[in-house]
Amino acid sequence: MENLMANFNYVIVVVLMMIGLWSMLAQKNLIKKCIGMAIFQTGIILFFISIGAKDNALVPILAEAANHTYAVPDVAKIANPLTQILMLTAIVVGVATLGVGLALAQKIYQQHSSFDEDEILENQRK
Amino acid sequence: MSALPIWQFDVLLLMLVLLFAVVALSIRNLMGAAVVFGAYSFMMCLIWAGMGAVDVAFTEAAVGAGVSTVFVVSTLYNTGATVQRRPGGLAFKLFIGVVVTLAGMFLLTALPDFPKWGDPNSPVNATVAPYYILNTISDSHVPNVVTSVLADYRGFDTLLETTVVFIACIAIYSILRVDKAKLETDEPVVVAAPRYDPSDSLIVRQASRFMVPFMQLFALYVIAHGHYSPGGGFQGGVILGASLILLAISFDLKFLLRQWSEKTLMLLVAAGVLLYAAVGLACVFMGGDYLDYGYLDSVLPGERDMARSHGILLVEIGVGITVMFSMIAIHINLASNGRFDRGL
Amino acid sequence: MREQLPIVIILGPLLGAVLAAFTGWFRPKLSHPLVVVGLAISFAAALKLVFIVAAVGAQEYWLGGWGTKPGHGVVGIQITVDHLNTLLLAAVSGIALLTALYTKRLVDTELAGRQRYFYALFSLLVTGLLGITITGDIFNLYVFMEIAALSSYALIAYGRGRAYMAAFNYLIMGTMGACLYLLGVGFVFAKTGTLNIDDVSAIVPALGQSQALFVGFVLILLGAWAKMAFFPFHGWLPNAYAHAPTASAALLAPLATKVAVYTMLRVMVTVYSIDYINHSPGIQSAVLYLSSIAIVVASFFSLTQTNLKKLASYIVLSEIGYMVGGAWLANKPGLTGAMVHVVADAAMTSALFMAIGCIVYRLGQAQLDDLKGVFFKMPVTMAAFVVTMAALIGVPPTCGFFSKWYLIQGAAQAGVWHFVVALLLSSLVKAIILFRIIEIGYNRVPHPAIEGNPAIPRNEAPLSMLIPTVAMALGLIALGLGTSTLVNTIITKALPAALTP
Repeated sequence: MENLMANFNYVIVVVLMMIGLWSMLAQKNLIKKCIGMAIFQTGIILFFISIGAKDNALVPILAEAANHTYAVPDVAKIANPLTQILMLTAIVVGVATLGVGLALAQKIYQQHSSFDEDEILENQRK
Repeated sequence: MSALPIWQFDVLLLMLVLLFAVVALSIRNLMGAAVVFGAYSFMMCLIWAGMGAVDVAFTEAAVGAGVSTVFVVSTLYNTGATVQRRPGGLAFKLFIGVVVTLAGMFLLTALPDFPKWGDPNSPVNATVAPYYILNTISDSHVPNVVTSVLADYRGFDTLLETTVVFIACIAIYSILRVDKAKLETDEPVVVAAPRYDPSDSLIVRQASRFMVPFMQLFALYVIAHGHYSPGGGFQGGVILGASLILLAISFDLKFLLRQWSEKTLMLLVAAGVLLYAAVGLACVFMGGDYLDYGYLDSVLPGERDMARSHGILLVEIGVGITVMFSMIAIHINLASNGRFDRGL
Repeated sequence: MREQLPIVIILGPLLGAVLAAFTGWFRPKLSHPLVVVGLAISFAAALKLVFIVAAVGAQEYWLGGWGTKPGHGVVGIQITVDHLNTLLLAAVSGIALLTALYTKRLVDTELAGRQRYFYALFSLLVTGLLGITITGDIFNLYVFMEIAALSSYALIAYGRGRAYMAAFNYLIMGTMGACLYLLGVGFVFAKTGTLNIDDVSAIVPALGQSQALFVGFVLILLGAWAKMAFFPFHGWLPNAYAHAPTASAALLAPLATKVAVYTMLRVMVTVYSIDYINHSPGIQSAVLYLSSIAIVVASFFSLTQTNLKKLASYIVLSEIGYMVGGAWLANKPGLTGAMVHVVADAAMTSALFMAIGCIVYRLGQAQLDDLKGVFFKMPVTMAAFVVTMAALIGVPPTCGFFSKWYLIQGAAQAGVWHFVVALLLSSLVKAIILFRIIEIGYNRVPHPAIEGNPAIPRNEAPLSMLIPTVAMALGLIALGLGTSTLVNTIITKALPAALTP
C-alpha cells in the first residue's frame, strides 16, 4: 500500500509539472502562460518536499523539555528541514518571477489591447 | 509517508490539486482562472502541511495563495480583460503535448531508482540534514530548525532570495512606472472604468480598519517568534504587506499613498537588503567570515550561540522590511498600471 | 584580507547596486560612480585571485564559517575560485566594468528620464553572473541564476515597443530553463543528499549507472541550454538582444550566455566527471550533431539579416555552438578550446556590440545599407569593428584564432568531421559578412546621417564610448598573444587528470 501511495504521489507530481510546462509553451494567452509557470514551479516544490518526507515525522521545531533545556532529538522522527529551506527560497523566487511576468503582460496589453500572443504578433507586423 | 496517518486525505488533496490546475488553465474567464489558481495554491499548502513542512505551507499560504492571487487579480482588474479569445492553433498544441508527454515519461523512468519513500535513512535524510537537527540548539539556540538553517547555515541563500524580491520590485517599477505628466503617445492608455468600487461600502471600510492593526501585530509576532514557532521574516513581511494592501483595496490607492509615499516605499525596499548585507559585513570587520554571526558576540548580548540567535533575528528583520515594502510597491504598480493614481 | 577576496567579488556589485538604488532618489548622478566603484573592486579582487590561483591553487570560502563537518560533509554554502572559473570571473567583472563606462552616454541620451534604477539593475545582473561562476553549491547556483535572469528581463524591457514581448518570451523560456535546472538538482539531491559540488562529485562515481542521476544530468543540461540559447532553445535570443537598448545588449550579449556555458562545463567536468560523459556515447554524438546544426543554421541566418543588432545576435548563437560542441568532444584539445573560447568569445562579443553601439549611436538606425561611407566618417570605430570580425573569423594573432585552432584539433582527433566543416563554414560566412560591410562602408557617398557637417572630416562616436570599444578590440589581440600562457598556467590544470590527450 505504501509503495503504491508513494508511486502515485510521484506520478501526480510529474503530471502536474508537465501540465504547467505545456501551458507555458503551448497556450497563447499571456496570463495563462504565467499561471502555467506558477503551476510548474509549485509542482517542482511538491517534488522536493516529497523526497524529504519521512514516515510519521514531526514538524522540525524542537520541543522544549524541562527547565528550558532541549533533549537530544531523534533525527528519524523529525521532518527534513533542508528540503523545506530550499523550497522556501523557491516559492519566493517563483512569486518574484510571476510578478515580473505579470508586469510585462500588463505593459503589452497597454500597447496592443490583447493578451493573446497571435493577435499581438499580428499587431506588431502591421 | 506523511505525518497524517490517513492516506485517503493525501489522495484526495492530490486529486483536487490536479483538478484545480487543469481548471485554472482551461477556464476561459481570466478572473476565474486567477481565483481557481488561488484555490490550487491553498490545496498545495495543505498537502505540504500534511507532510510536516509547516514553514513552507505558511509561506505558500501567505505568498503563493495570498499575494500571487492578488497580483493576478490586480493585473486583470486594471486591464479590464476578462475572457481570453477563442483558442486556435491545434497542431502546435498537439506537438507540444507530445513533447511534454515524452518528457514526463522520461522523468518517470527514474522512479524505480529512487530511495524508498519516507525512508529516514535515504541520502537526503541521512547526509547533511541530521547535522542541522542535532546541532541547532548548541550552535545558535534556535529550536525552529528551519529558521536556523535558513538564516544561519544557509544564510547566504536567504540574502540572495531577499535580493531577488528587491530586484522584482525595482524591475516592475522600471517596467510599469510612468509619469502622468509625460505620457508618451506610442503607448495608448487603456484604463477600465471600475464596475464596482469597494470604497463605497461602509462595511468593507470599517471592517478593514478594524483588521489591519491585528494583522500587523500578528505579523510582528511571526517575525519575532520565528525562532520558536513556524514563521520568520518572509511570512511576517508578507502579512505586513498584505495589511497595507488591504487598506489600498478597501479604501483608495491614494489613501495608502498618503500614509506611505512612493519614495518611502522604494527606499525601504532597499533598506532591508542593505541591513542584511551590512550584518554580514559587520561579521567580516569583527574578524570572521561573511555572515558568521558568532563573531558579533562582542557587540551583541550573550555568548557565541546567543549572538547567532540575535544575528538571525536581525537578518530576519531585514528580510521582513524588504518583503513588506516590495509587496506593497508591486501591488501599487500592477493595480494602477504604473501611474500611482487609482486602482484596485 | 586575502581569505576574504572571494566574497569581495560578489559584495562589490551587490552593495554598489543597493546603494545606487538609494541614491537614485536623492542624488541620481551618484548611481553611476557607485556602480563603477563596486565593479572596480570586484575586478581587482578577481584579478588578484587569478594570480593567487595560478600560483597556489584553488581557493575555498565557506559562508558563515560553516565548512566541512565530519560525517556530514559541507553543511554551509561554499564558494570556490579554482582553475575552471578564475579566468571567467576576471573576464566577467572586467567586461562589466568597461561596459559600465561605455554605457554612460547611452543611458543619458536613450534612457533619459527613466534611468533611476538602470545602474542598480546593471550591477545586480553582474552580481548574478559572478555568483553563478563562483558558487560551489548547486542550489545556490539556481538562486544566482534567477538574480541574473530577473535583472536581464528588466534591462531588456527598457527598450520599450517590441522589447516587452521579447522580454516576456525570454521570461518564459528562461524560467523554463531555470525550473528544469532546479528539477535536475532535485534528482541529484535525492540520490546524493548534499548540495555541495565537491561532495556530490565524490559521491557520483560510487553510484554508477543510476537512472535518477542520468535524468538529473539531462535536466540540468536542458536547463543550461535554454539559458544559453542553444539550438533548439534559441528562439528568444535574437529578438531579445535586438530590441533591447544598446546599453543593455552590450552587457547581456557577451556575458549571460557564456556564464550558462560555464554552468554546463562545471556540471560536466566537476559534478559528473568526464568519465560519465564517456559512458554515454549516444548522447555525445547527438549533442555534437546539434552543435554543428546550431553553428550552420545560425551562420546561415546571420547572412540574411539586414539589421545590425540581429546580425550580431545570430553570430552569438553560432558561437554558442562552438562551445557546446567543444565541451562535448570530451578530449583535451576540445575542452581546452571550449574553455578558452568562453573567455575569448565574451571579449569578442563585447567588442562587437560596443562597435555596433557606436555606429547605432551616430546613425540612429541599424540597417546594413545605412553603413554607406561609414569607413570615412567613423574610421576608428570601424577599425575596431574590423579587428573584432577578424577575431570572430579566426585570424591570428587574435584570440579567436587560438580557440578555433584547439576546437578543430579536438574535433579532428575525435574524428567528428561534421563539426570541423561547421566551424570552417561559419568562419567563411563571417568573412563574407565582413567583406560585404567593407564594400558598403567604403562607398563614396556617405549616408546623410553620417554626413553631418561636410567640413568636419570625421563624425566619430563620443570618446566615452570610443575608448572602451578600442580598448576591448586591442584586448582581443592581447588575449590572443597571451593564450598560450593562460592555457599552460591555468586551463590545463582545470582539465580532469583522466582525460584522453
